[in-house]
Amino acid sequence: MAITLQKGGNVNLSKEAPNLAHMLIGLGWDARSTDGQDFDLDASLFMVGADNKVPNDAFFIFYNQPKSPDGSVEHTGDNLTGSGDGDDEAIKVDLKRAPPEIQKLVVAVTIHDAEARKQNFGQVANAFIRIVNMDNNVEIARFDLSEDYSTETAMIFGEVYRNGADWKFRAVGQGFSGGLRALALQHGVHVG
Amino acid sequence: MDIRLGQRVKIADLLPGAGKFSIGLKIDAPGLVIDLSCFGLDDQGKLSDDRYMTFYNQPTTPCGGVKLYTPPGDRAGFAVNLQKLSAGIARLVITASIEGEGVMSKLQSGYLRLVDEAGHEAARFSFSGADFQAERALMLAEIYRKDGVWRLSATGQGFNGGLDALVRHFGGEVAPAAEPPPPPKTVSLSKITLEKRGNTVSLEKKGGADHGEILINLNWHRPPAKKGLFGGFSGGGGVDLDLGCLVTMRDGSKGCIQALGNTFGALNRPPFVQLDGDDRTGASLGGENLRINGAHWDDLQRILVYAFIYEGVPNWSSTDAVVILRTPGQPEIEVRLDSHDDRRTCCAIALLENQGGSIKIGKEVVYFASQREMDQAYRWGLNWIEGNK
Repeated sequence: MAITLQKGGNVNLSKEAPNLAHMLIGLGWDARSTDGQDFDLDASLFMVGADNKVPNDAFFIFYNQPKSPDGSVEHTGDNLTGSGDGDDEAIKVDLKRAPPEIQKLVVAVTIHDAEARKQNFGQVANAFIRIVNMDNNVEIARFDLSEDYSTETAMIFGEVYRNGADWKFRAVGQGFSGGLRALALQHGVHVG
Repeated sequence: MDIRLGQRVKIADLLPGAGKFSIGLKIDAPGLVIDLSCFGLDDQGKLSDDRYMTFYNQPTTPCGGVKLYTPPGDRAGFAVNLQKLSAGIARLVITASIEGEGVMSKLQSGYLRLVDEAGHEAARFSFSGADFQAERALMLAEIYRKDGVWRLSATGQGFNGGLDALVRHFGGEVAPAAEPPPPPKTVSLSKITLEKRGNTVSLEKKGGADHGEILINLNWHRPPAKKGLFGGFSGGGGVDLDLGCLVTMRDGSKGCIQALGNTFGALNRPPFVQLDGDDRTGASLGGENLRINGAHWDDLQRILVYAFIYEGVPNWSSTDAVVILRTPGQPEIEVRLDSHDDRRTCCAIALLENQGGSIKIGKEVVYFASQREMDQAYRWGLNWIEGNK
């Protein structure tokens, strides 16, 4: 039985799933059911150190750079409309291969071309993030975003972080304006 | 507080402690005809009960939680009372739809605002045609319950397919053919309602004249007619009520007038009672009518007016049926079919008796399994055989 988290809540993944090695981070939202331009939501992951910055730009995992240099994190691809059941986007993490200097995996979702399309997270319904143990396909934790966010165009859904020898997951649900660019800059990525 | 497109706010943050507020709307759209409605949806986002669509043709929900009301200074709007709102309603969607030509990008400007009980503005969502494209129907804003908390969402999204597409989005089906708009309700200035079984009223002849043509109308609830491209939703109606009566003449002859068996009677020869053509679709807004030739009232002894369900499951409670008896120059007399018995298909509604030339009308509303059983209870004495329409 997966643990359902509230905004700000956390769970010790290593305790819930001892020997957790291969993790899938699933992200979802409802596709647009009205007419107009599709919502193209993109999942990204920042592998950051203790300073909350990426060691270098290669640790910013997104649609143009789907795999980390060490191979521990892999983005499985972009779903352009959000249609289909289950996860709309997914990121695979091999925790045992994550470099020791990486303290935290920050999982964010941004709305592509949000300003031009006049879109924001308030128009996205039923967003969630979930953590699945890939070795037995059991969902460990889930966070249904609360709809308290609204006009932001970027959103940190959650983060997976080290706590001693354990890995924990926190439900964040924090929105930002400025889209992926602002979020990348904040995490130390050199955006061209 | 200004609300931006897409923004979501807790109602309690806008209107502390109050579930009572009004929604004011104003849309400037030269050349466009825009209809505003409020859809009350269930927790699946579906319009499971079309009585919860509030618009000019249906100004209030059955629970009274949403009513048409225009706050001062606005062009249209709704009064909302979340406390009174039926528990099955989880979402109110305020919609705007264009009648005839046009798309939403052509509208000039508009707003939707929340006004508190004291008349103060609590929130305003302003929009313009630049926020939209080719939509012909919009969900402007939604007031919805999530995790037990009511929230406002400035949705601002819609459908190029207009109101039809919107209705489909809410799980409704749009009738292929448009229904004509219902005629305006006639206002009855004087009316007598026979509340309980056994209540009676007597209509005397006036000044030596006869009673004129007495009209007995049976009407019942069917899905409200929506005008124009709307049509009705399917699935809401379906119960076909038939009106009929048992007649005993002064000379002792007896008969039954009903569509089943094609005994429609006659107005200008015995039995001087006639049933209008049967409308089995329920589409006729006038319901079913029996007419009595009042000039020959003295040839009649007693008449038992009844309704029966020829096809379908007896579901009297959903029909909300009412019989109205109109006699020229007399107050209208109304009898509601209450005390429903959904196991029985026949309802004796009212008994009309000739008492020295006046018409004594008594409320019955007694349910029977068949006309035969009813006949026996009233000792009418007709022979009953199975019939077909």
